Amino acid sequence: MTATQAAASIGPIVKEFITGTLRARAEGKNKLAYTFIHCHHEEIFRAMDVVPVWTENFAGICGAKRDAERFLQRAESLGLSRSLCTYALCGIGFDQWREERGEMPPNSPWGGQARPDFMISSGQILCDPRSKWYQASQQFMPDVPIYNIDLPYPLFQRDRDHRDVWGYYHKYIVKQFRSLVAFIEEQTGKKMDYDRLKELVDLSDRTWNLIDETYNLRKSKPCPMGTGDAMNTMVPVCFMMATEKTYDFFVNLKKELEEKIARGEGEVQDEKYRLMWGGGLPAWFALNDFNYFNSKGASFPVETTYRTTEPLHGMDIPETKDPIEHLAWRWLGYWTFWYDKAKKRPGSEPDVERLINWIEEYKIDGVVMHEAFSCRTWHVGLIWQLHQLAKIYKPIPVYRIGTEGKKERVYRELPSLILESDIIDITSYSEVDTRNKIDAFIETLESIRANKAT
Amino acid sequence: MNDNQNNIFTTVERYYNDYGLRARELKNEGRKAVGYICSMVPLEIISASGCIPFRVRGSIHEPITMGDTLLETIVCPYYRSCFDLSMKQKYDFLSGLVIPHGCDSMVRSFSVWSYSLPYSYFHFINTPSVCVESSFEFFYAELNTFRKSLEKFTGKEITDDDLAQTIRIYNENRDKVRALYEFRKADPPLLSGTELIMVLTVGSSLPIGEANALFDQVLAEVSRRENSPLRKGPRIFIDGACLDNIELIKVVEELGGNVVADTICNGTRDYFPRTDVGGNPIDALARRYLEKINCPKTYRENKTGSFEGDAADRFGDIGAYAKEFKVNGAILYIYKYCDPFGFEVPARKAYYKSIHVPLLYLEDVYSAGTMGQLKTRIQAFLEMIG
Repeated sequence: MTATQAAASIGPIVKEFITGTLRARAEGKNKLAYTFIHCHHEEIFRAMDVVPVWTENFAGICGAKRDAERFLQRAESLGLSRSLCTYALCGIGFDQWREERGEMPPNSPWGGQARPDFMISSGQILCDPRSKWYQASQQFMPDVPIYNIDLPYPLFQRDRDHRDVWGYYHKYIVKQFRSLVAFIEEQTGKKMDYDRLKELVDLSDRTWNLIDETYNLRKSKPCPMGTGDAMNTMVPVCFMMATEKTYDFFVNLKKELEEKIARGEGEVQDEKYRLMWGGGLPAWFALNDFNYFNSKGASFPVETTYRTTEPLHGMDIPETKDPIEHLAWRWLGYWTFWYDKAKKRPGSEPDVERLINWIEEYKIDGVVMHEAFSCRTWHVGLIWQLHQLAKIYKPIPVYRIGTEGKKERVYRELPSLILESDIIDITSYSEVDTRNKIDAFIETLESIRANKAT
Repeated sequence: MNDNQNNIFTTVERYYNDYGLRARELKNEGRKAVGYICSMVPLEIISASGCIPFRVRGSIHEPITMGDTLLETIVCPYYRSCFDLSMKQKYDFLSGLVIPHGCDSMVRSFSVWSYSLPYSYFHFINTPSVCVESSFEFFYAELNTFRKSLEKFTGKEITDDDLAQTIRIYNENRDKVRALYEFRKADPPLLSGTELIMVLTVGSSLPIGEANALFDQVLAEVSRRENSPLRKGPRIFIDGACLDNIELIKVVEELGGNVVADTICNGTRDYFPRTDVGGNPIDALARRYLEKINCPKTYRENKTGSFEGDAADRFGDIGAYAKEFKVNGAILYIYKYCDPFGFEVPARKAYYKSIHVPLLYLEDVYSAGTMGQLKTRIQAFLEMIG
């Protein structure tokens, strides 16, 4: 159940672009490329009419349909440990099966994942599986070439200014993008149309800003849209960027949220608690846990997961007319977005800083995180982030200068909950345990509120 | 290290069991030791700064406790153990720590280390993921950033001459290690795998000059040997990441196997590639650490269009060592939650099959508690290959 009509419309959209890849494969007019989300250069694919096959998306669908297990088991039978990224295991298991049969595995979810013409890997500096996955799949389809694009960014170091080094980072990323263009030109036999690329980059930039404006509306009380919905509206953000369809999607979502706010309509009817999804990919097979939270009066106005864009106006990046150069600056601007703010606060760090900012801006009562056992990329460091937060949000009264310049006593206690399972491996999930944990967390929130009242 | 009168292995054992003993002594003498993790950190630059590079290791005998309060249990168990020991002040003599982009666990936990440990210097080296001309240019710049950060930390300029000097000394060190490996070619080998790993582990805790002196003494000692410390048995190759505790190799050798070669990070992967001399030293280091260290973390393009060709490019060193050291069987030893190695298991298995080397694949959690189970499987494997 979703709170917004926009989120409810996502299912058919996803189905369409999965079946669309199968149609494209059958028609043979455009080249298909396996690729990953959150790489921020979709514009290059679209400008060259390459059809992206989002392999993480297909694995997520297998998980959501509770049909990933047979592909995971197949990957295990090849020698891949279940402790590795289960998206990748699902994808490799599927690929091996499809290649072995010469056709889709029986009853493949939504018709299956189309065979690619080439694969675009990107480990960036945050995800080893993205660098290794297609290499492992290539064992079963050695005729499909890989381009592995390296997209580093300066890691945060308290005593350094990232601008001291980002000149050579930018130069490298630009070269990597230009090599990617050359690779795709070779694969497709088409030359890049740079005017079209520039238009698409401009469109994405506008969409990034619009996403920020739209999601900022969720600061309203009651919150008009929660994380359960955002796990649907991530689809246009992650899989359909650089399209008019996505821009229009957010125009409509923004309008819908404004109307809901005007009517005083929240994600939950009687909003008692405002929670933040503070980290971790969701368990795709258990998204109705968000509805369970809602049933307890808890809303999720904000999440760090899949907020994979930041407003361009907040980035301190140089102007350039070259779309490739701009993509590289935008990449660096995105990853260093919170660096300056984090340096100003003792004990803070970019991920922690983002949590603190959103806790304050969205008036958050508690933080929920999800530790998916198979993914180090998004889950290592979450415990430590909570640990840092606990240094700031202590269960003791603190004094601050409030409205009209008067000193006021406030409690900044912020409880947290860590859920544990996986992104698509349903064997790791216990609904009873999860719901018990949620119940206990809600009781904690109630108790804190009662204590504050007294 | 003044122990010429005694068997040098007694000294090695002492330094192995009290890991960091010498670094602590040197710290008390006013020297700075800089810890590092992974083979991707150019030690030549640390030594050229006047600091002592010190390889942080874990312990399979120490339960991970304090580390788990800050770092998820889905992190590679070897790396968690390193963090746990650091949190327990095992390495409190260090002045700083350098972590490279070796894997997700290293990248994602860099803040956890740098905010939780009291060292005055931290540095992250962003090693590229690919091996192309632009990545060498980038890595060159990144290593110069590392150089500058160490200059700032120590207050000492690192000149090209300093680097040329340390490159020469480290190449000597690697030559000595290669000479140690030569003793393993005898059947049975004159130097056991257990002894070698102990020596190399100790070497990575010493200033490079002292490590070289130690290796010279070991070479002299082993060259005097007339008999092998091992009974003749199946000649075993160890493939995997960092193996800084001797127990696994000891188990193989106690069961009658002879561990004769490896591709582990504290073995041939790190010690066999030399740095080119005569040119720009930073450029030479960039090429050694990115191109010559054959780590699964670094993506190398399949230029052959076939899996067999790609496997030969990626794993050809295994085949070469298997031939050179007359290997009868191999153990692929992978830590649970290790993405770079874990995703290569099917390809490595296929490669071993193609070169007709029987393979035992073990997934482990870096704990002495699992040695019993491993022993049973290793015993069966040794019996099978006879």
